[in-house]
Amino acid sequence: MMSEFWTRLRYLFTRREPDELDDELRFHLEQAIDVRVAAGMSAEEAHRQALIELGGMQRTREQCYEQRPGWWMGTVAQDVRYALRGFRRNAVFTVTVIATLAVGIGATTAVFSVVDRILFRPLPYAHDDRIVSVGLVQSLERQEFAVGGFFFDWRDNQKPFEAFASQGAMPHACDLVEANPAQLNCIHAQAGFLPLLGVSPVLGRNFLPEEDRPNGPRVALISYGLWQDHYNRDPGVLNRLIDVDGSTARIVGVLPKGFELPTLQAADVMMPLALDEGNERKSSPGSAMRAFARLRPGVSIVQAKAELEPLFVHTRDTLIPAPIRKDFHLSVRSLRDRETKDVQSAAWILLGSVFAVLLIACANVASLMMARGEARERELAVRSALGASRGRLIRQTLTEASMLSLAGAVAGIVLAEGLLMVFLRLAPTGIPFLTRAGLDVRIALFTVMLSLVCGALFGLLPALQTPRAVALAARAAKSRNRTMLRRSLVVSQIAISMVLLSGAALLVRSFQNLEGQSLGLQTQGVLSARIALPGFRYDTGQKKMEFYLRLEAALKRFPGIHAVGFSDSVPPGGWQNNERFADLAPEGKPFPEQGTGGSVVSRGVTPDYFRALNIPILRGRNFTEEDRQGSDYPVVLSRLLALRMFPGEDPLGKRIHRDRDKLWLLVVGVAENVKNGGLTEQDEPEIYFLRRSVQQDWGGRAPVGEVMSGAAPLMIVDGLVPQETVALWVRSQAAQIDPTVPVEIETLNESVSKLADRPRFETALLGFFAFCGLLMAVIGLYGVISFVATQRTQEIGVRMALGATRADILRLIAGEGVRLIVLGGVLGMAAALAAAQLLKSLLYNVGPHDPVTYAAVALLLALVALVATLIPARAAMKVEPVVALRYE
Amino acid sequence: MPPTTDLLQGTLDLLILQTLVAGPMHGWGVAQRIQQVSRDVLQVGQGSLYPALHRLEYKGWIRADWGNSENNRKAKFYSLTVTGRKQLETELETWERLSGAVGLVLGRIPEAAS
Repeated sequence: MMSEFWTRLRYLFTRREPDELDDELRFHLEQAIDVRVAAGMSAEEAHRQALIELGGMQRTREQCYEQRPGWWMGTVAQDVRYALRGFRRNAVFTVTVIATLAVGIGATTAVFSVVDRILFRPLPYAHDDRIVSVGLVQSLERQEFAVGGFFFDWRDNQKPFEAFASQGAMPHACDLVEANPAQLNCIHAQAGFLPLLGVSPVLGRNFLPEEDRPNGPRVALISYGLWQDHYNRDPGVLNRLIDVDGSTARIVGVLPKGFELPTLQAADVMMPLALDEGNERKSSPGSAMRAFARLRPGVSIVQAKAELEPLFVHTRDTLIPAPIRKDFHLSVRSLRDRETKDVQSAAWILLGSVFAVLLIACANVASLMMARGEARERELAVRSALGASRGRLIRQTLTEASMLSLAGAVAGIVLAEGLLMVFLRLAPTGIPFLTRAGLDVRIALFTVMLSLVCGALFGLLPALQTPRAVALAARAAKSRNRTMLRRSLVVSQIAISMVLLSGAALLVRSFQNLEGQSLGLQTQGVLSARIALPGFRYDTGQKKMEFYLRLEAALKRFPGIHAVGFSDSVPPGGWQNNERFADLAPEGKPFPEQGTGGSVVSRGVTPDYFRALNIPILRGRNFTEEDRQGSDYPVVLSRLLALRMFPGEDPLGKRIHRDRDKLWLLVVGVAENVKNGGLTEQDEPEIYFLRRSVQQDWGGRAPVGEVMSGAAPLMIVDGLVPQETVALWVRSQAAQIDPTVPVEIETLNESVSKLADRPRFETALLGFFAFCGLLMAVIGLYGVISFVATQRTQEIGVRMALGATRADILRLIAGEGVRLIVLGGVLGMAAALAAAQLLKSLLYNVGPHDPVTYAAVALLLALVALVATLIPARAAMKVEPVVALRYE
Repeated sequence: MPPTTDLLQGTLDLLILQTLVAGPMHGWGVAQRIQQVSRDVLQVGQGSLYPALHRLEYKGWIRADWGNSENNRKAKFYSLTVTGRKQLETELETWERLSGAVGLVLGRIPEAAS
């Protein structure tokens, strides 16, 4: 085998004298003549007969050359040169095919690269398909949570899991105090947590069971990022003592690069959860945590849930107070669902729409290649008559198809890179993993292959048929089947673009509704500033309050500032504090039945809050500066809450009893409703507490009656001067009080606009795909109609000679197009109406079958498609009858 | 031109290799020899002979050298290489197995069937 290989290689590089073969063949001829002469023939006759017997010398010569190893390489170069000449002659065809492929490949690759991270990406854990999030859910907390009161009971008695462990409820800010201090995120986890995920530290070890106990040795694992940035990847970091929030811990390990918590929250330092098991078991509810588990092989989530049911029932009946039991449910979800549930539907829709675009692109390429193949049928017949073999013709076609696909692929990948950059720029922050999305090589290859196949397949059709003698005459009617195939391709293209267009139009309408709605508050010119005071220096509520009140007073002195208020959150969305409706009762009335009434948004504000956001007080009064110094608990209700708590009564001056801490609240006013359930959800009732000038209202511990959340207050500033100036003032005044505190400033317009990022993103993408789809479908339609028109040129000539008017011709050709449009449109409309159900969850204030949208889409499609039909039809109409009759 | 028996693809290669066992030979000689030995049943035209010779040469099974023919003309002589000799053996085995099998199917060698 080796020797054969070397011989081949040698012949590849040495060129053989061409006349050697001629000498050899001449010798053969002479011998044949000699034999005949020896048999008694005359020299001339011998020569003649020998030539006849030998047959065509040229053919032999060519066949001998073809034996040469590497011979086909020469023909490939030939094919490529030939193809390039053809492409130059047919520039429009070439550019169209390449552009179509580029859009198809580019869009699919870019979108898949994004969606893959959300839908299909393997989670960075061993047995990631068996890891589940386990716990309770209720109306105020939709993510599974667990508490010490039942966690240990479940862990000891469960059967469906082979591992069951938890991390702390959420990471908290912590301060690394050393020569080079840093503010970090710390998380607590049980010793069994990392083994459950199948993660082991790259350096050092995991927590030992004895370290995961109260008063056990203080140890910590640090993240790879912290090890790299803070400790220069020093292996000696093990056993080092670090000071976290004022107490020392020994570093025992480094987490692997790319490690992420199953909650996707950032964490730099992991420490043992170290719960007191005995105490937790007895307490109700105990410490909050997030529990995860690994299913035993072969156990499904449904089975696991069913098996946990008895444990859950026991917990519910013993741990949760009877009135609110109904609100708690058991939940077991795959980790993937927990991480990406809310974006999965959008991801599927994007993926679907982009595959629709790819389909249209493929149909287009197929249709174009077929048209070209038909136009070249005659050329192929000529080449075949001149001696080109079938294989050679097929190879030529394949060469052309692969060159086109290759060019389309290169353009497509460039486009994909660009699109991905645009996506990342446009994308809202809430979509997990998006920032880490990179171009996916597998899908790029897949789309390139797919387009190559559809190009080659349809390009080959004409070459595969034995070139017919009739093709040479070229007058013969071209294959009816193939025209039928092209027509059906166009119909499906129109149908698919109809689906895409109506989906996009629905999203646009929904987005308009979203943007156009009234929020019930002023966002223009209002700034919000979040100032996170470092916990270890501002360790009492008093210190915090002093800082904020000093800043407020300083800012109020500026003449251009109209209002300076504090709140813990701003509508319309994002994080907001909640009360239970059933926890509040007007004086003299019983509490509503627990678990009913849902939740009430609560905000702790200062009087200027209403002024800054321009929320009208409908009845009663706003909080006053005197209230801030008082010791009462005045509240302002939203109109909706006032109506629900005091139907048909005057709420002013009434007192409200809060069950949780037996606190009495006094209603002083009623404010207009604001949009407070996010942009798309129903408004919720709202209660405003006053943030008084006492330390417990600013993050300090209160002996009784804590109304404020622990969250750092958000300062809201409304100025009459430009926002940049106001922002500058806020920063400089904060720096004057304490130059080290970080100040995050955002305009309210930005925060609201951020909430609309997701729908904007979805709308923009789907709109873009619909546009691409429509463009390609129209190109396809134009191609078919002009092809049909050219094919019927002679027929048109005959008709005109027999007296048909130009209008008749227009009707004849355009009628063909109209039939395709109507058929495609009707099919598409049916498919769109069915597919719209999938969009339902993304739509706001517009039904999935909104008639106006569908009518508009149908009209648009019909108009554009008609134009694509009329252009070639008009060209056909203008043909001179004499020219048409002589056409080929 | 008298009708010739179509040669199976690959059979011609085998015939050429076998013919060249006798010693170096030019193309004409190979054709004549095959015709003679087969008692005029197998006639190899130059149209298939020379491509086959070149193919075998490229594969390294035979070697070509220019020399003088018996009537003192310049001619190209082909001879078996070592690889060619080995190849011939395997090809012969294959051929025997194949022809035996065909014979069995056609029922011409009854004793082999039992």
